[in-house]
Amino acid sequence: MSPLDILLNSLLTLQAFAGTQNVSSLQKDEAWRVNVRIQGCDLDNGYLCGTMEALNVPLADTPVVTFWEGEFIDVRNYTFYTGKWEATPDDDIRHWSKFPSFSPLLSQVEADGGKSLDLSSYPFVFMRWKEQYFVNVGIDCGLTIAGFYYVCFSCSDGSITGFYYDPNSSPFQKLELKTTNERLAGFTFSSYQLQ
Amino acid sequence: MPTLAASNRPEDLAASLSEVVGVENGAALLKTLREVKNQIIGNKTKKLQYLHLGAVPKIVSVLASASSGTADGGDSVIIVQAAAALGSFACGVEDGARAVVEAGAVPHLVRLLSHPNGKVIDAGARSLRMIFQSKLAPKYDMLPEENMRFLLSLLNSENENATELAVRIIAHSCDKREEQNALCDARVLQRLLHLLEGSLSQRDASLASIVAIVKNNSEVARTFASIDNGKSLGALTELIHDRYPRTRYLACMCLIAIGEVSSFAHDLQTKTNLILVLAKLLEDSSEVGDDSPFALLDMIADKEELQVQIVAINVVEKFCNYLEKGSIPPRRLQGILLALAELCSKSEICRGQLISPQFLNVIVDALQHENAGVRIAACTCLKNISRSVKNLCAGRFSNESFIVPLVKLLNDPSTSVQDATLGAICNVSIDFTSKKAAIVKCGGLPLLVQISKSIDPSLRLKSVCALRNLMFIADGTLKEYIISELTISELTCLICDSEHLIQEQALALVSNFINGSIDLIELVFAEDGLIINAVMRQLRSNFATQVSIQGMFLLCNIAAGDESHKEAVLSYLIPLKSDEYAHLLIRFMQSKDKLLRTATVWCILNLTDPAGANSSDRVRRLQDGGIISQIKTMVNDPWLDCKFRVRKVLEQCMIPQSMRM
Repeated sequence: MSPLDILLNSLLTLQAFAGTQNVSSLQKDEAWRVNVRIQGCDLDNGYLCGTMEALNVPLADTPVVTFWEGEFIDVRNYTFYTGKWEATPDDDIRHWSKFPSFSPLLSQVEADGGKSLDLSSYPFVFMRWKEQYFVNVGIDCGLTIAGFYYVCFSCSDGSITGFYYDPNSSPFQKLELKTTNERLAGFTFSSYQLQ
Repeated sequence: MPTLAASNRPEDLAASLSEVVGVENGAALLKTLREVKNQIIGNKTKKLQYLHLGAVPKIVSVLASASSGTADGGDSVIIVQAAAALGSFACGVEDGARAVVEAGAVPHLVRLLSHPNGKVIDAGARSLRMIFQSKLAPKYDMLPEENMRFLLSLLNSENENATELAVRIIAHSCDKREEQNALCDARVLQRLLHLLEGSLSQRDASLASIVAIVKNNSEVARTFASIDNGKSLGALTELIHDRYPRTRYLACMCLIAIGEVSSFAHDLQTKTNLILVLAKLLEDSSEVGDDSPFALLDMIADKEELQVQIVAINVVEKFCNYLEKGSIPPRRLQGILLALAELCSKSEICRGQLISPQFLNVIVDALQHENAGVRIAACTCLKNISRSVKNLCAGRFSNESFIVPLVKLLNDPSTSVQDATLGAICNVSIDFTSKKAAIVKCGGLPLLVQISKSIDPSLRLKSVCALRNLMFIADGTLKEYIISELTISELTCLICDSEHLIQEQALALVSNFINGSIDLIELVFAEDGLIINAVMRQLRSNFATQVSIQGMFLLCNIAAGDESHKEAVLSYLIPLKSDEYAHLLIRFMQSKDKLLRTATVWCILNLTDPAGANSSDRVRRLQDGGIISQIKTMVNDPWLDCKFRVRKVLEQCMIPQSMRM
């Protein structure tokens, strides 16, 4: 049993999340409404993917949809240290430390990158999400997907928090998501099966 | 006085074979046999002509008669000619080999190997050698002591034809562990290793025999690898670079067989070399070129490390370049597509390499190929490429250029092709962009619905899975169209199908249908509750856990609807006059299966949602039914997901009535 299985079996099955992304940490009213849908998951390889829809993006006539791929910080496939996408270990620690749920892990992560941590019963799951391409607009849409998100998922309430990292964008843009019940009075499940 | 010239027409010669039997006609018979033999050598058309004229059984009769005639072994010259003719019939033409075997030639030819005349022995061995090149030759039982002794005597004979015959018999007949061990104990491997230095034909036959003896037998493989302190492996490694393609291919097969069962020839570098040699052999115009992709396929099946290596050394690119040249023999094309399919089964990088328009054109052509094996391979390849969620999300599989031929294949006369087609359609039906029109626009929906009624369980299963995937996050219009084609009564039949896997898919299909819309939930209660009654029947009577899980997720989706839906679900689960279903809920929550426990708690979570007007009443009924007591025992469920949902349910149940909406 691991939190990753929990992700897969419940909230990944629910799939749809909605919330906001604060583009500027100073001006709350600049927040974009964001919908996220988890589309696939491969726990053995610490992989997940999905789409992200930004609704009220300035300069864009329509909602902008991007496809992203994610890495579970499972300490086996991926550690807390990113080692790519222009993120230094210091950047990693600064961003992970934004999550209160990370503080009990900090010393161990600083000691060995968190390799000796047992995250199997930890009620939070850490991830990185990296946007790969624009689904419905061209790359000349005036937006960038150069950065990536540090993400934390709470197993107990299903909320997702993230911080966007791109050396060329505003720092610490915060992503806050909750599961959506769409227009229903409860949680619903839909699923596909690949052959 | 002039005489009529003897006729050389096959019809006359075949006829005269019956007429001239008998020692008194020896000269004429000899002449006829020699003429027939000369005509058929290297001439497939003539061989087939004589086969139709029934020449083979006649020649076998001649052989039998001539070899049993006298104490000194009969008429040697006639025996030699008859044996040579039979060998020639069997050489390179499967129908010929079949005719020779069916006419009972083999026992007569084997007897010749004990003949006092060396020329007869040689003719017999040569003829049998050709017969044992064919898969149709009879298996030789080498386990009886006498038979093994005879086989070894042939193998160690000074006569090259006899030796090669023994090697071919081993390659053809050795397929049991006892046989492999017996041959190994008799030091046959050492002899075969020695024969690798012989003629080309002997060498190739020896390589094939080594494969047969070491295959799936680690003990024997270890023995082989240790011969002459490992020189055996060195010899094979050299032969994978031999100038003859068939030798290279067979040497690869030996090393693959040894590497499969032992640590020898198991290192990545050796395997990489084998992959490169096999990939290069693909370009050989002979049968070797057809066989090499299948050898590669066997080598890489389920071996992720090797698959990654193949991608790293650009073999996929080589395959694609070769395929784009076109005009590829069907068996070779099938082999390459299957090897690529295997590579795409897990590797996202490989899928990415095959998503190019050029390669998809190759697939489109292969889907329409006249050879069923190629069509199946193309579907398998497409199925595995379309396992890429990344490319599905980008809508790369909505291209009508291959959806159209794919949909056409749903009508293929071959069930195997239909089955493979459905595998691909299942995956390409998952279109995250909600533009599912491609399959529907190309007329796929009625065909899928039709196949969902097939008597073949595999076809039924895959078609229902495809419909479930089409239904996944589809828009309301498409959902309703699918149901109108499928009909509620047929859907109910699928929920009650005799196969558990089909029941599971059908329940997931309904879950997908009602997900996200209160209006669509009404479907499960339509036509006097056909669907909901079927679901409840399955939950009550079915002991297949996966079916119960899907059933509970379906009830959970219904319970996410309005008050009437929640009430309906509760009344089905806890009827006023019976505690039968309450026991069902308790049984599910006490299940060892964590997902079944979790699905059940999710459903109760929706039923106890405090926003509902009747939620406090539902909580009371759940309490009365003993459900809440059961849930309280699960607050420390070992499955975290279940534990969190349980706590949420209890939290909702604690809300006082005054604070509910």
